[in-house]
Amino acid sequence: MWQTFIIQPMVNLLLFIYNLLGHGPHTFGLAIILFTIVIRLVTWPLNASQVKGAQAMQELQTDKEWQDIQKKYAKDREKLAQEQMRIYKDRGINPFASCLPTLIQFPIIIGLYQSISRAMAATPLTMLQLARTVYPFLNIQNIIPLNSHFLWMDLGRPESIAIFGFALPTLAVIVALTTYIQSKLTMPASTNPNDQTAAMSGMMSIYMPLMLGWFALNFASGISIYFITSNLLGIIQYAATGRANWRNLLPGGNKNSSPKK
Amino acid sequence: MNIKRLTLISLFVLIAFVISSCGTRGPITTNWPGLSADADRAYIATGSFVYAVDLKTNKEVWHYPSAADSKQIYYSNPLLTTDGQLLIGSEGSNRAFVSINPETGKDNWTEPFSGAKGSWVASPLVLNDKIYAPNSDGFIYILDMKGKSAGDPIDVGGTLWSAPATDGTVLYVASLDHKLHVIDPASGKITDSVDLGGAAPSSPVIAKDGAYVGSFASKIEFVNSKGHGEAITDASNWIWGTPTLDNETLYYADLNGSVYSLDLATGKQNWGDVKPDGPVVARLLVVGDQIYVASEAGTLVALDRDAKTVWDKKVGDKGQIYTSPVVSGDLILVAPYLGDFMLAAYDAEGKQAWTFTPAK
Repeated sequence: MWQTFIIQPMVNLLLFIYNLLGHGPHTFGLAIILFTIVIRLVTWPLNASQVKGAQAMQELQTDKEWQDIQKKYAKDREKLAQEQMRIYKDRGINPFASCLPTLIQFPIIIGLYQSISRAMAATPLTMLQLARTVYPFLNIQNIIPLNSHFLWMDLGRPESIAIFGFALPTLAVIVALTTYIQSKLTMPASTNPNDQTAAMSGMMSIYMPLMLGWFALNFASGISIYFITSNLLGIIQYAATGRANWRNLLPGGNKNSSPKK
Repeated sequence: MNIKRLTLISLFVLIAFVISSCGTRGPITTNWPGLSADADRAYIATGSFVYAVDLKTNKEVWHYPSAADSKQIYYSNPLLTTDGQLLIGSEGSNRAFVSINPETGKDNWTEPFSGAKGSWVASPLVLNDKIYAPNSDGFIYILDMKGKSAGDPIDVGGTLWSAPATDGTVLYVASLDHKLHVIDPASGKITDSVDLGGAAPSSPVIAKDGAYVGSFASKIEFVNSKGHGEAITDASNWIWGTPTLDNETLYYADLNGSVYSLDLATGKQNWGDVKPDGPVVARLLVVGDQIYVASEAGTLVALDRDAKTVWDKKVGDKGQIYTSPVVSGDLILVAPYLGDFMLAAYDAEGKQAWTFTPAK
């Protein structure tokens, strides 16, 4: 099931794009970038509705009824949570709107990682698995094995640049940074220190960059190309709505701030 | 810590676990076993160890290294040299190239090869007291028989997964870069390269005035020592294993599971529509009047010269066969991948003589 509906289409799409680009040097990296754009376009409606939900969450912070219940039930967290849920329900708001766009990426990330590993075919066994994965109508014997070099990277291996004898994981840093920026931009502003949704989003903006940075540090750099491209597209998509909370990027910027309308 | 926070952290841990279990750091380091044999012993390279198995008692004689080391992984076919060495390289993060004493299982010498960027998927070749060791980084490294560098590495290009073949004068090296390279071992230079139209994962077989090689272009190509190439026949899918030459007949198989017999004198196929049992990666083995076909389905099939099935045996209840079977005396040795056992021996009538599984 996972193979048939996730891995096989992803591998074939990657190979199709790679072939389309001329399968020369650096094209596998470009194929991953284009592949990411395709995935983003496919999931655009889902992302858009979640961006909309996140915006609704931000607007809620300045809503009088919302602020009133924060004050009224400041010492009764259970009641406050009940009231918050009521308002969410009344206004059709998903409180996890800012988390979901990132979380829904995980099946894609797992699938992509497996697809890249499969497409790279670093051993005879994985080459054989690749032969089984490719759709018969894709005449790929001309393009196998794939050229795994992209810029200074071998996309089948973790990336680092040697500077003064130290192996600096450049991509891992960029992945963590762009993930942090994306999480912060979509994080709703909060005036209430007891706001659990804001607290959750705050945790996400810390754990997600660390976790994705760790993945980028340890796994094939092809996956880092996906992370960075996806993050940048997410930032662009969110910024295009004019609701990006740029002040969140600054220390303490989350407090008493609201996005410009 | 509240429930939501705990749930979130648990979710991160779960996702990290799932992704971590999806792959490994860098390239995947598993493959089917490597197998070779002399008159008395079989040598199997699989995972952390190389095993020597006594063919009379089907007992382990030794394994190398003595204790598992996660940095050392072996799965190429160990090469027995005429001066009594067993040569093999590691695919693990420790990419050492080792000479093992086949009598004792102790290493004669180890070359760390810290400069090599790839792994040792291919077996080496020994010619004129020099070891030619192809690495997946596209270089052939040259050592003397004591493991010291004996020349500059030859930059072949592409990825090298198979041992060079030689007629004693030149080296024929198949590469995943779609080419068969002809190399002058004296100068270490590539004299000619022939485009095969697809990657060539296995060694060529030496013939009179040249070599035959199969490729993912689903063709068998003949290349002479002057670098002239000619596609002589087709297959219905990728050809993985080295073709087998028996007098004037060339036997080969493809990933569709078709087995072919080509009469080289006439250039016509004797037969080619035989599908014993599933895709064939392993090289066909010809012994006496029988052609042995080991398939991905885990079956060992004996065909006669007219393609009639003499016998077929399922090698264990599970496992696939990708490793080329080898012959030693009266025994046909088969090493299944992920099978019930590591090695099985059959006689010419298809009777299973024994199986071998290492003690835990």
